[in-house]
Amino acid sequence: MVKLRARCILVGDAAVGKSALSQMFRSDGAHFQKIYSMTAGVELLTKSVNVPNTSDSVELYIFDSPGREIFAEASEKMWGQPSVMCLVFDISSEASFSSCGRWLERVRAHCQGLQVPGVLVGNKSDLSSRREVETATAQEWAQSQGMEYFETSAKEMESCDAPFICLAQAFHTLYQDRLNTIQSIVSP
Amino acid sequence: MKTKDLRSSGTYVSLATSCDKNYPPEHIIDGNGETFWMSTGMFPQAFTISFPSPTEIADISLQSYNVKGLKIEKCISEEVGTFETLAERELEHTEELLQALKISLNTSTTLLRFTITSGYDHFVSVNEVHMSS
Repeated sequence: MVKLRARCILVGDAAVGKSALSQMFRSDGAHFQKIYSMTAGVELLTKSVNVPNTSDSVELYIFDSPGREIFAEASEKMWGQPSVMCLVFDISSEASFSSCGRWLERVRAHCQGLQVPGVLVGNKSDLSSRREVETATAQEWAQSQGMEYFETSAKEMESCDAPFICLAQAFHTLYQDRLNTIQSIVSP
Repeated sequence: MKTKDLRSSGTYVSLATSCDKNYPPEHIIDGNGETFWMSTGMFPQAFTISFPSPTEIADISLQSYNVKGLKIEKCISEEVGTFETLAERELEHTEELLQALKISLNTSTTLLRFTITSGYDHFVSVNEVHMSS
């Protein structure tokens, strides 16, 4: 049984629901922020996630970063060396999806060449009548970037845990890999 | 010059910021090159080695994997809290091979603190620390 710790960078355009998603996840659905309040600084949330089919867990330190450009640059300084990343867009906004590539580059610039597991999240799946980004399109792009794709609705408490569990699992797999590498060096 | 058998002299690892019970910090001073301590994510990571009484340390050697920035400090007061930096190094990246670092400290202390400020990977190992007086 081991408890891993991961620095999870949460990014995406302003008002796609990053804070709502992370707060729903953190509070197990008890806290949905009905009134939008723009994130200016970095909000830090922590939650432990059990890795499915193991007795291990990953404590996620979620760095909820502002999407608004004037705050984004300052908040990047808080990211440090990311362990995993969660990239969010709004399925009813094509523009927020097109920004994802730019956000990805931005986080990768902090990764110092390390493999950093990531997930792409299409939030606001409850707004399906106003959908501008097709599931298949998002899925395809996520795959091309080596990420898993999830659709969530923070408002309807739909699948909010899934992306974070996936990240915990991926980080846990990295840990096992590294253990095996070192094990094979010391006792070939 | 003699190499200390750290465990039998009552030396122990008094603190570590990561603990996987299969790869515990005790492995750092167990004299067995096949066992190691593994960090479990994020930096900095630290561990301290406590001695039962003030101990002379001439050289220290350390085997590790994927450690980048390393700082070694000693405690300089009766109560733990005040530290003096003895050495700061940036280790080279190795593959398929452990990092081996040797540093002359020529000091005396009851407690050493090792801080790993950064790594070449998310996870680093410290396999062995040896000291000679």
